[in-house]
Amino acid sequence: MSQYAHPEALVSTQWVADHINDPQVRIVESDEDVLLYRTGHIPNAVKIDWERDLQDPVLRDYISKERFEQLMSEKGIATDTKVVFYGDKSNWWACYALWAFKLFGHENCAIMNGGRQKWIEEGRELSKTTPDFPVTGYRVKNFNEKAIRAFRDEVLKHLKSGKPLIDVRSHEEYTGKLLHLENYPQEGALRGGHIPGASNVPWATAANPDGTFKSAEELRDIYQREVGLQPDDDVIVYCRIGERSSHTWFVLACLLGFSKVRNYDGSWTEWGNMVRAPIEKP
Amino acid sequence: MSRLEEIIANFQMLEGEFRLELLLDYAEKLPPLPERYQSVAEKTAHKVPECQTPVSLWVEMVEGKVQIHADAPRESPTVRGFVSLLISAFNGATPQEVLNAPADLLSRSGLAHAIGMMRTRGLNAILQRIKAEVRRESASG
Repeated sequence: MSQYAHPEALVSTQWVADHINDPQVRIVESDEDVLLYRTGHIPNAVKIDWERDLQDPVLRDYISKERFEQLMSEKGIATDTKVVFYGDKSNWWACYALWAFKLFGHENCAIMNGGRQKWIEEGRELSKTTPDFPVTGYRVKNFNEKAIRAFRDEVLKHLKSGKPLIDVRSHEEYTGKLLHLENYPQEGALRGGHIPGASNVPWATAANPDGTFKSAEELRDIYQREVGLQPDDDVIVYCRIGERSSHTWFVLACLLGFSKVRNYDGSWTEWGNMVRAPIEKP
Repeated sequence: MSRLEEIIANFQMLEGEFRLELLLDYAEKLPPLPERYQSVAEKTAHKVPECQTPVSLWVEMVEGKVQIHADAPRESPTVRGFVSLLISAFNGATPQEVLNAPADLLSRSGLAHAIGMMRTRGLNAILQRIKAEVRRESASG
């Protein structure tokens, strides 16, 4: 029998249904589609938008500590609240939001396995009422950026020392063969290809067709036996803007218990535009 | 004032959250797809590849006027709303009116700000695709 390394990081739809009114739990919907929450959401779920709430409107960066504290306080989240994320597209954006919460050191985070799709397919209740919770006085205690976020200079050092990099984009993006689309630069980057030495493991490899995560055994088969990663490896994951790689980050760090996984959120939209950044293209 | 200009002005008058509500109204009002287009093969053949969401478009000319049909999933209300907005603006318009639609219509209407800049790429692709089809249809007609 095989277990996830941190089984508490994944909860079922039934678990969420049983904790809808639990004051120690806050359910957070995070979607690609900005209107989806309004069409109906899990009762008592609050919405946190990956772009409008978590990204700085001017700098290419996440919001400041102060802004995060304010956001948490407004959403009724305290430092010890268990925050359960779910969303559309196999929980891509839910994982992205979870990773951002981890940047600010929020310890107790989980993903609802299967996301919005599973909740709806099971015919569970949806609500259009936006809940209102008492304001908290949230304080960021352990800003955690160093441990889980990689910047371009670190990626450069990482590749020079031959440490593992995982590119979670599609094979077409990895090989730089993306179709040239009218009026569109390739995926927002001037150059195609991948960071030298990176292995290509598209994010969806870790998900079942219904959006749930594969079993611990299946995930170990993919990342440890096939790709050859070890749980104590220093690993950097990336994609286009760091959203799909948050999904893989969650799999490696939370489900398989890897001790040092960082997400390079600059990803291809930074690397593929940087002058003289080394690129591998088959 | 063209129908599109009226729609843009309506969005401009609203504050951010209400712009999203109006877009959601459009999403709910997307006209149903005619039966002849409902097969999977038809939808696949008319997919807009630039858009991550599976959107299908049919652009026709009826007595010199543009007629658009579209399909977008209910799980993607933003895309659905934008497509529905374009149908409402363009159906019955002349090809030239469609081609004149401003390329920055998302920023101009204030929608880009309301939905977030990173989300505008796929939507702009839909507008470009409609213009390309209108150009092709009106040239062949």
